[in-house]
Amino acid sequence: MSLNVMIVDDSNSMRAVIKKIVSISGFKMDQCVEAENGKEALAVLAGNWVDVILSDINMPVMNGFDLLVSLKKDNLFKDIPVIMITAESSEERMRDAFNLGVKGFIKKPFQPEEIKKILYEVVGMSDKGEYEEDRGDDKDFDF
Amino acid sequence: MKKIEEMIRISIFEVFEKMFFIFLEPLDDENNEYDMEAAIRFEGAANGNVSIFLSTGVAETMVQNMLSLQEHEITTQSMEDCSKEAVNMICGNFLGKLNSKKVFHLSTPIFRKQPRDIELGKNACRMDFDSDAGRVGMMATLSD
Repeated sequence: MSLNVMIVDDSNSMRAVIKKIVSISGFKMDQCVEAENGKEALAVLAGNWVDVILSDINMPVMNGFDLLVSLKKDNLFKDIPVIMITAESSEERMRDAFNLGVKGFIKKPFQPEEIKKILYEVVGMSDKGEYEEDRGDDKDFDF
Repeated sequence: MKKIEEMIRISIFEVFEKMFFIFLEPLDDENNEYDMEAAIRFEGAANGNVSIFLSTGVAETMVQNMLSLQEHEITTQSMEDCSKEAVNMICGNFLGKLNSKKVFHLSTPIFRKQPRDIELGKNACRMDFDSDAGRVGMMATLSD
C-alpha cells in the first residue's frame, strides 16, 4: 500500500520542502496533491482520496482551522488525519487544534526529522504492518 | 525594547539556520543597501509589524538551500516566496517567545522589490547581520 498525501500551504516553497521531506522519509508515496488554501483543499479532496493532510494554519481565503472544521463535518473526510505545520505556536492555538481533532503539530521552522517522526506516529502506527519495512531506514536528508 | 530585540534576534538565527542553513553574524554598523523586503503585521496581545531586508545574494542562497535548487533554477518568484515564508516564520517564532499563551493573528506577508528606507519610529528596533551569502536586515515595530 502506498501513501497519498495532501499538502496545504499558500507558499509554493514550503509545499515543495514538505513534499521532498515526505518523499525521503521512508514512506512509499503514491500521490501528492497540493492546495494553496483550505477552500482549494476541499475542492481537490472531492476528486482525490488522501491518507494524511499536512496543512498550514495562516492562509488566505480559507485558513487551516476552517479547513479542519469543514473536514470534521464531512462523513467522508472526518477520519483523515491532519497534521498542522505552522509558524503560529501559541498554546491556545495548539489546544484548539487538538480539540478539533488534529493529530500532530509541527512548529516552523522545523527539522526534517520532526515531520518524519510525526508522520510515523500518525500514519505509520495506524498501519504498522504496511510501513514496518521502511522504519529504521534513516535516510540522510540532503538539503 | 532590549528584551524584545533579543527575542527577535534569536528567532532570526533559528529560522535562518534551520530552514535556510545560513549562519548570521550581527553587525554593529547599519546598512541600508538591501535589494528586497518582506513584511508582516501581527495583532493580538500586542500589535506591530516585522520586516526583513535582504540582499539578492542572501535571497538566492535561501532559495537554493531551502529547495535544493541549482543557481540557474532560481526565479524571482521563488525568492519572493522564500522571503515571505522567512518573515512569517520569524514573526511566528518571535510571538511564541513574547507570549506563548496568547493567540496572535498574522497577516499575509507582503513582498517589496524596492525596499523602504529603514526609519526607526517609536517602539522600534533594527538589526543588521552579515553572512557568507550577503547581508540581512530586520526592523520590528510594536504599536501602542
